[in-house]
Amino acid sequence: MDTLIHAVTGYCLLLLTVRVLSRRPGGQLTLFDFVIIFLIGGIIIGATVGPDHSVTNCASAILVVGLMHRIVAWGRARSPRFNHIVDGTPLVLIKDGNWQRAVMRRMHIDDADVMSAARSHGIASIFDVKYAILELNGTISFVRQGDAS
Amino acid sequence: MMRLASVSRTAAVEESIEKVNEEVAVGEDLGFQRGWWRFERATWVFFCLLLVADLAGAFGRGPLANATLKSGDGTLDVSYERIERSDTPSMLKIKLGSPALHAGIATLYVSQSVVDALGAERIIPQPLSTTIGHGGLTYQFAATAPPASVEIALRPGSPGLFGFALGVPGSDTLRARVAVVP
Repeated sequence: MDTLIHAVTGYCLLLLTVRVLSRRPGGQLTLFDFVIIFLIGGIIIGATVGPDHSVTNCASAILVVGLMHRIVAWGRARSPRFNHIVDGTPLVLIKDGNWQRAVMRRMHIDDADVMSAARSHGIASIFDVKYAILELNGTISFVRQGDAS
Repeated sequence: MMRLASVSRTAAVEESIEKVNEEVAVGEDLGFQRGWWRFERATWVFFCLLLVADLAGAFGRGPLANATLKSGDGTLDVSYERIERSDTPSMLKIKLGSPALHAGIATLYVSQSVVDALGAERIIPQPLSTTIGHGGLTYQFAATAPPASVEIALRPGSPGLFGFALGVPGSDTLRARVAVVP
């Protein structure tokens, strides 16, 4: 029973902590991100299974975490509000050729991050960008000048 | 057949994602996002307060958690943690004064809750004898002269609020409560 409570608590705490860590631009895990993932993951394992390292206990913990994930996925699919809470919303960084500075400051994104993503999309100049959008997974997608309809 | 029909139902494609400038379907919800940023700030403040409270010992293992009990006649002087963590070892330290020692024997009464709720694992030094009764255990130790001390290693098994009592025959019993956090 303790394992179930610990696993549910751990899942919710981890979800909250990861959620309040701002989205990192780039959409790919850096070494910096790996530090957080492995460290938090390692800590939460100890608290979840406790001193009982039996296969039964570990299997219970895995099943609870899987079930929690399934419940959250179900909630996301059915409620746009819940989806926003868990995943956030896409955010416009360049709107009609204008930087959205307030959004960028809040998301800790600077011009260089946007330009780096633009180059990876084959965009050589920021003046070619009409819209830049920070997606839920941290990638930045672009709409070129003249592309929007 | 009915099941297949329900699976293959279709719906016409329509604009369900909110557009920016009536041009790009993004689904941005800045109103929600501004609320979320406020929530994020409040959450980090809360996390910082939790860490400060943790460092101070509000969840055990810190200055706020350490406590002492003393009997008026100097028979017992007890150091313990008023806030313990479940499945985490700690020490209950008991100093016995001269009224506790008679004819080379020190006697100490420990309530059963020290064993059951607070998870006493061992007592140092090894007692000469242990007698059960009066809702607890009465230990006898070989002793010469004060100061003499006894330590009980604790490891509470589950969270909760638990009381315990310590005493020496012929003297006041000391009582205290320990909060065990998960």
